[in-house]
Amino acid sequence: MAAPDLRAQLDSLLLQLFRDLEELEAKRAVLNARVEEGWLSLAKARYAMGAKSVGPLQYASRMEPQACVHVSEAQDGLQEFRVVRPGAQTPEEVGPREAASFSLSLLPGLRRRKGPTRPPEPSEAPQDPLNWFGILVPHSLRQAQASFWDGLQLAADIASLQNRIEWGRSQLQGLQEKLKLEPRAA
Amino acid sequence: MLECSELYFNVDHGFLEGLVRGCKASLLTQQDYINLAQCETLEDLKIHLQTTDYGNFLANQTNPLTVSKIDTEMRKRLCREFYYFRNNSLEPLSTFFTYMTCSYMIDNVILLMNGALQKKSVKEILVKCHPLGRFTEMEAVNIAETPSDLFNAVLVETPLAPFFQDCMSENTLDELNIELLRNKLYKSYLEAFYKFCKNHGDVTAEVMCPILEFEADRRAFIITLNSFGTELSKEDRETLYPTIGKLCPEGLRLLAQAEDFDQMKRVADHYGVYKPLFEAVGGNGGKTLEDVFYEHEVQINVLAFNRQFHYGVFYAYVKLKEQEMRNIVWIAECISQRHRTKINSYIPIL
Repeated sequence: MAAPDLRAQLDSLLLQLFRDLEELEAKRAVLNARVEEGWLSLAKARYAMGAKSVGPLQYASRMEPQACVHVSEAQDGLQEFRVVRPGAQTPEEVGPREAASFSLSLLPGLRRRKGPTRPPEPSEAPQDPLNWFGILVPHSLRQAQASFWDGLQLAADIASLQNRIEWGRSQLQGLQEKLKLEPRAA
Repeated sequence: MLECSELYFNVDHGFLEGLVRGCKASLLTQQDYINLAQCETLEDLKIHLQTTDYGNFLANQTNPLTVSKIDTEMRKRLCREFYYFRNNSLEPLSTFFTYMTCSYMIDNVILLMNGALQKKSVKEILVKCHPLGRFTEMEAVNIAETPSDLFNAVLVETPLAPFFQDCMSENTLDELNIELLRNKLYKSYLEAFYKFCKNHGDVTAEVMCPILEFEADRRAFIITLNSFGTELSKEDRETLYPTIGKLCPEGLRLLAQAEDFDQMKRVADHYGVYKPLFEAVGGNGGKTLEDVFYEHEVQINVLAFNRQFHYGVFYAYVKLKEQEMRNIVWIAECISQRHRTKINSYIPIL
């Protein structure tokens, strides 16, 4: 391949990489904000309901996940992650993802599911975790749930983005090697 | 009852009233809260609390200090004070104190039942129960399957027994029914407490009845607000409203039909006390209805101390102390989450 072509390819790859990095930064900031909001809403719920009414006493150690990570292959061979609900209306829990470099260890960790979307659940829909705290829960608890769910979606996007960035970097290195090996233009 | 409590009150209850007024004077001031809000870590908070009346109550806590430990220790401290009052009291003040502990007992029973539903061990939950609501039959609560089981086997000997009248049913205890049980028990309790205060008459009735009426109305509003979007039907909702407040009967009937916050607000607009409270919701401070109600509660509890020779000071002191605990826990949470924007949302008391 001619050197100018290679260089053009290198440039466009670099630009794409920077765009991805910028998107990653923005998404990370939003994720942090959502998770912080979620925790503050939990604190507000504790204020309204009593400090011991919103805590580990209210949930069992074994639970049904409300969200599954769906891994799919995009056309360029990259893995894409999406968070899907296995039929339930309002989710909260998260399954730890292996490709994500950060851990959402704040949320109750559960068994994770990977692979193509499962067939619809044969038994009853997983119970809404909001009901662990009673039927009449304050608004702040619902807000916490919504914030954590948003954070979940973002986490999946960030994982996909990070994958793309890794791939982009390896492509970049490959191209740079090739460029070194090219005979210098006269 | 003779309407001259000034002549007879101090014989039996003067020492305790003096004591509770002294305790009230040691509640945290605005300056204390400002100092606490400036702390960077929970250890700083502990050091600042040592300079207040709390003293070294966290001295025996192992590292790391958590918000939950602070809350537990504060509760234990309040419990020690309360039991001192109760052990030194005579009738009818002792019955008054028993009524005060019933609300905590109800919370503990519900906590134990929920724990049984989640298959938690009884020991784990007993540690987290509110110390003010401790009673001897607590460990047996988790064996009950239905409310009538619960009553016949466990609670028939406790002070909660008279409140089970409306709650006896053969439904198994799942989340919805536990919630209904909690609210029905609380409704019966509130009505019984109100009747006790009213029958006592005198300054106690003049001070306590408005406080309990506000509590009843507050519960009605909060139940309504939290039931929007849940599976609780309107008829069920109406059975949970206590009937001793200003809202009974027209307001409660209207509230039972409300379907969103604006409709609830329109109901509140009919009542001079509640209209300004609802108008304060939202605004630029982002206050919720619960916040506004807590503020109002603090105001009426502080006013209870303006009258002498009545039992309301004890109730008011415990409620003010609870608000103080909520404030400290809120500040501690903001510090530990390093999210300081809302750290000043506590409600100052003195």
